[in-house]
Amino acid sequence: MSFENIIYLIKIQNEMKIYIIDNGGQWTHREWRTVRDLGVDSTIVPNTVDADVLADADGIILSGGPASIESEMSKLGNIKEYMHRYNYPVLGICVGAQFIAIDSGGRVSKALHAEYGKKIVNFTSKDGIFYNVPDSINAWENHNDEIKSISDDYIICAYSDTCRVQAFYHKNRDIFGVQFHPEVNNTEHGTTIFKNFIEKCRR
Amino acid sequence: MLDPEKFIKDSVSFIEKNVKRGILACSGGQDSTLLAVISSMAKTDILTVFIDTGLLRNNDIKRIKEIFSSYNVNGRILDRSSLFISRLRNVTDPEEKRKIIGRTFIEVFEEEAKNYGAESLLQGTIAPDWIESGGGSRDTIKSHHNVGGLPEKMNLRLVEPLRDLYKDEVREVSRYLGLPEVQPFPGPGLAIRIIGEVTEEKLNILRRATDIVEYESSKLNDKPWQYFPVLLPVRTTGIHGDQRTYGLTIAIRFIDTIDGMSGTFSRPDWSVLENISNRITDEIPEINRVVYDITSKPPATIEWE
Repeated sequence: MSFENIIYLIKIQNEMKIYIIDNGGQWTHREWRTVRDLGVDSTIVPNTVDADVLADADGIILSGGPASIESEMSKLGNIKEYMHRYNYPVLGICVGAQFIAIDSGGRVSKALHAEYGKKIVNFTSKDGIFYNVPDSINAWENHNDEIKSISDDYIICAYSDTCRVQAFYHKNRDIFGVQFHPEVNNTEHGTTIFKNFIEKCRR
Repeated sequence: MLDPEKFIKDSVSFIEKNVKRGILACSGGQDSTLLAVISSMAKTDILTVFIDTGLLRNNDIKRIKEIFSSYNVNGRILDRSSLFISRLRNVTDPEEKRKIIGRTFIEVFEEEAKNYGAESLLQGTIAPDWIESGGGSRDTIKSHHNVGGLPEKMNLRLVEPLRDLYKDEVREVSRYLGLPEVQPFPGPGLAIRIIGEVTEEKLNILRRATDIVEYESSKLNDKPWQYFPVLLPVRTTGIHGDQRTYGLTIAIRFIDTIDGMSGTFSRPDWSVLENISNRITDEIPEINRVVYDITSKPPATIEWE
């Protein structure tokens, strides 16, 4: 680890609190681990927890999960409230990202091509938490549904050959979404995305 | 990022605080073996129990005996192979297999715990085990024997010091302690590598194939994370010395991953696969076809069941 990284870690350690909202994803714990490996304290909470619990959060991550968002919105618990009650940065992963799209007035439904495992994700813009990520990365996917549309408040910034919306960010608030799984070890530069997100969460 | 020394120290004091007299379930794999060694450092009465389920590979028992003696583990090996195998008769559903094995494990451990006067059961459960075993809003992908098989009401208190670790971290701590590195081996053993009903005959076939795969793979400079054969109930036509055969199929699975949560199939040198295939079909007459699994995780899991 470089000296710069060590200093960075010392700076953020114990200063921040990130909550990982568990939507039942197989990789929720991987998100916890990635954040921990970046030296930040995080807690996994079920998506049914009272929004009051998140009062001290510096940021939240909405995990992936098995819910099909069209018909099983109830499985996503209180995440709507978590998103709007506070002004902290939000990172939605997979079903978490799909929720953000729907919440914005967009549409999510069964994907034309489901994606499982390795896909090439191409970035068209690398603002926000996608800073320092190469134009194309090998990313790990695991979804049956896809985002068909999202409100104009968001900028779609990545795509794959078989899925048009792979990443997006809000124009004015720190809200980000990724359809792929940056927390998975096989996804290239996933840690960079988490590191950038943590940077956004710094008070 | 994990500090092995600190982890061991914390785990030892965690065990000392939470266990008066405990029984430790050891499968011989990296996780539970590490836990057995860490527990042997705690100033608490812990009996490590290794069950011969009859679903093991050829060398497993010899290896565990060596570890018990070289690390001063207070260990006991119980032969319950006929019990396990009789309960698996006529069972073909993979989830049922896992649950039966899990329940039988617990039964044997509860009995041993009673004999030993233990109030706690120590298990080497790591993060992917309980993540994949479902619960709450999570879909059950597989019932891991040390989680999904547990009865709702148990007389033992469950202690799982490795709960938040991933495989690579288990390896890091194991290396620190000088423990031999072994490839992961599932708790339900060879039962979930035999698709369809588990029989003594099939277990013997798979044991021989496993020996061949493990031996030939050991010649690789860069060993995959996991490398094993699976016995399929698929018969196909073959020709052995001008005679028609109608034998079973072995699938070879080589997986590259860091933590077992996602991974790709390996791309080993063809000659290694060729040797494995030749040796299996030459040495195991019941097999006349060998195939290679080229599916990543996801969509497939590492083990076939």
